[in-house]
Amino acid sequence: MSTDLVAVIGFVALFALMLLRVPVGMAMGLVGVVGYSYVVGVWPALKLVGQTSLRTVSDYTFGVIPMFMLMGAIVTVSGVSRELFKAANSMIGHMRGGLGAATVLACGGFAAISGSSVATAATFSNVAYPEMRRFKYPESFSTGVIAAGGTLGAMLPPSTVLAVYAILTEQDIGKLFMAGIIPGLLAMAMYVLTIAIIVRVRPDWLPRGEQKPWRERFADLKSVWAPLALFIFVIGGLYGGFFTPTEAGGVGATGAFLLGIARRRLDRAKIREALLSATRTAAAVFTVLIGALLFGYFLTVTQTPQKITDFLVHLGIGRYGVLVVLMLMYLALGCLMDAMAMIILTVPIVFPVITHLGFDPIWFGIVIVMTVELGLITPPVGMNVFVIKSVVDRVSFATIFRGVAPFVLTDIIRLAIIIAFPVLAMWLPSRM
Amino acid sequence: QDKPVNLKMSSWVPAQHPLNPALQAWADDIKKASGGTITATLFPSEQLGKAFDHYDMARDGIADLAYVNPGYQPGRFPIMAGASLPFLFSNGKSGSAAIDAWYRQYAAKEMKDIKVCFAFVHDPGTFHARKKITLPTDINGMKIRPATSTIGQMVTLLGGTNVQASAPAARDALEKGVADAITFPWGSIILFGIDKVVKYHIDVPLYVTPFVWGMNKDKYESMSAAQKKVIDDHCTSEWAEKVAANWADYEAAGKGKIAAEAGHEVYKLTPEQLDAWRKAVAPVEGTWAEGVKKTGEDPKAVLDNLKASLVKYKAAL
Amino acid sequence: MQQATTPNLTDRIIGTIEWLAAISVGVVALNIFVSVVLRKFFSTSIPDAYDFGRMLLSILIFWGIAATSYRGGHITVDLLWSAVGPRAKRAIDVFATLMLLVFVIMQTAMLFDKVRLTRIDNVLTYDLNLPTWPFYAVAWTGDACAVILIAVRTWRLIFAPDKLHDEGYETAHPSIEESKS
Ligand code: NA
Ligand code: NA
Repeated sequence: MSTDLVAVIGFVALFALMLLRVPVGMAMGLVGVVGYSYVVGVWPALKLVGQTSLRTVSDYTFGVIPMFMLMGAIVTVSGVSRELFKAANSMIGHMRGGLGAATVLACGGFAAISGSSVATAATFSNVAYPEMRRFKYPESFSTGVIAAGGTLGAMLPPSTVLAVYAILTEQDIGKLFMAGIIPGLLAMAMYVLTIAIIVRVRPDWLPRGEQKPWRERFADLKSVWAPLALFIFVIGGLYGGFFTPTEAGGVGATGAFLLGIARRRLDRAKIREALLSATRTAAAVFTVLIGALLFGYFLTVTQTPQKITDFLVHLGIGRYGVLVVLMLMYLALGCLMDAMAMIILTVPIVFPVITHLGFDPIWFGIVIVMTVELGLITPPVGMNVFVIKSVVDRVSFATIFRGVAPFVLTDIIRLAIIIAFPVLAMWLPSRM
Repeated sequence: QDKPVNLKMSSWVPAQHPLNPALQAWADDIKKASGGTITATLFPSEQLGKAFDHYDMARDGIADLAYVNPGYQPGRFPIMAGASLPFLFSNGKSGSAAIDAWYRQYAAKEMKDIKVCFAFVHDPGTFHARKKITLPTDINGMKIRPATSTIGQMVTLLGGTNVQASAPAARDALEKGVADAITFPWGSIILFGIDKVVKYHIDVPLYVTPFVWGMNKDKYESMSAAQKKVIDDHCTSEWAEKVAANWADYEAAGKGKIAAEAGHEVYKLTPEQLDAWRKAVAPVEGTWAEGVKKTGEDPKAVLDNLKASLVKYKAAL
Repeated sequence: MQQATTPNLTDRIIGTIEWLAAISVGVVALNIFVSVVLRKFFSTSIPDAYDFGRMLLSILIFWGIAATSYRGGHITVDLLWSAVGPRAKRAIDVFATLMLLVFVIMQTAMLFDKVRLTRIDNVLTYDLNLPTWPFYAVAWTGDACAVILIAVRTWRLIFAPDKLHDEGYETAHPSIEESKS
């Protein structure tokens, strides 16, 4: 059997196993080991399992993942999302569409201290959705804005997906984090603009919220200091080079913990919940990492990545043609798996193509994460939408997808802007 | 007619590293000598496995040939660690022939799981610092990114603190003051852009890192007698030097380039200063000797043999 | 998350394992925090902080994987599963759990081999020259527990699905917020 055929069978088997609900990491690991056994030998393949597992879990660089997860988990249980939403709502909730814009701002604030898109969507399903419904916002819009706002979690630093991309491609995590800031802020501005347009088109659709006296509004705003301080401390420290990314995660988690204790937002049960939640997410992601490495070694010995690169480069559709093909592939994969699994599975294969075509690795990291996140809010299947549905059970998928549609449009425009003007992603990291 | 063999060669350094073309040239010569029956594919950049695991990869057949840094696993190869003691090697080329000739007598025992094709070293590295280091006492209180665990012990001994960072992250660590100095070969300083952040360079061959080009035993045994002979002819001290030469030249040329850059100070040590260094770092040898004793070898004899080999190949400092 | 049943032995074991893993996460963060403070303000470091951090990480991940495997908290593709009827769902679940078991058994066996060799090869920590194998052995224990617990899960899934359901098989999935990122 030719190695090409072996690789193709490997991919088919992988997707079959995943569709049969074998955990993504185990599916990749199993196919990787069987394929490697066939190409190289059973004994080396088995040895590779032990070696890869141990090396991956004891890699200091990978430590950045559980650390930022822990930081995110601690701020989640500390009720920061509620405070952020309350503050944003106090300031602009009384305007038409104001609750929606407040949701976007609060999602952005939360995203600045949490690394996960899904966690952001989940927490605001609990916090912002009931409030929007109380003021008679439509179900579709209320869920849609949360789904879109959630994607900020992976774009604004810290971002676990960007961190994993950086590790897999040996790029500077700090630079990727900085690269996400302007596209993230642009996303917030464009989401708010989208809401303003909706208000113009359907003035009755998004009613005014309640207006508080200025004293109360400032009092609500004051509680923002804690997440803001945490953001400046962690991301500023990373930007200024006071610590490495892994250290930023560890120090950020400790900082979030100390802040939570000092502000009496944490008790034993909550600390326990945060630690367990970080452990579970980390374990799930490391399983995928180990599996992807095994699958990757199998592909390497069949020389698949080189062949795919050669194929795409000689396709004659130009570098942007290849880029579009890759992005469509990501949107399709978005129907199957979550952002992290997608990045881990595909980046080792796609990255050589990108560097070969002369695209900037940092910029591509931003583009790929935006695309992957777009896949999480587009039909027929999207993880952020699933999460919102799991919290807000009465709403149908169709309703959520309808509500998120205007934001999807915004995201596509934003993606085009970032592709046309790479400087938006590249400027901040170039100042480091 | 010999059965055709394809060898998976694994090198953990990035594709553009000067070692890779030398390894490829080694493989090309084997192909020629074997009449085309032995071919090889080089996988750079940790494509087959992590740098740390390369010895095990050669042992387990994950790679047929692997570029091994024995120092990545402190304690595992105590004899080889002797070559990483400070102030021994004067240069990387004849130094590679010297370490290979020396290590041949221990390889079969210390690296019994693989066929050691040859041992080699890079061109000697030194301290590159943000502030001037001339005497061992200057290390006290400094944060240093050491090249090997032996250099790490030396730093601790002299009252410094070790900062661990991968080679690409080292520049950042130095720029931000996480580290004050690094031990590195000269050319790599420029390769990783570290010359932008450190200004003071002692012109002394402080240390080398020993490496091994190792082969999977079963793969070797599976070959015909004629093919084995071709491999053996390419596992010699001459080839050690040949493979190391390209990289050694690259590193050595870095010194001139750095000296020519504005604002850099490259300075030599006086014989008295060098003596002070040798005295100050002597206890590191004691620590090393303890490790060797456990293997049943006599550390003094091991080190004397190495020194003799260095003299013989004109690579002694 | 659990119904009001008294937790049985496997649940208690898994709870303990998971809790120990969770404590490791906290210790890793603390280790980093203290290292940074010592370096910034006292120009010194905890010997082997780097290696301790790495090894604690390995413990937390393997123990975490054990718990995650038992609770069915891994990242999965649910597209087909959520579209089929209960009988097919069960068939898929049995198959998926068996595959999980196969992989984790293989991983545990080969990790044992790796830990054994780390001991024989006398691999030491960077600063203090302590043997590294005991840490990895502790990490391995997590994987070994995972095998037993997944075997229990598989057995129940095949022969006693009711029992599994009683334990909250449907609801004991950690919420998506926790299991996905
Ligand atoms: Na974020
Ligand atoms: Na989708």
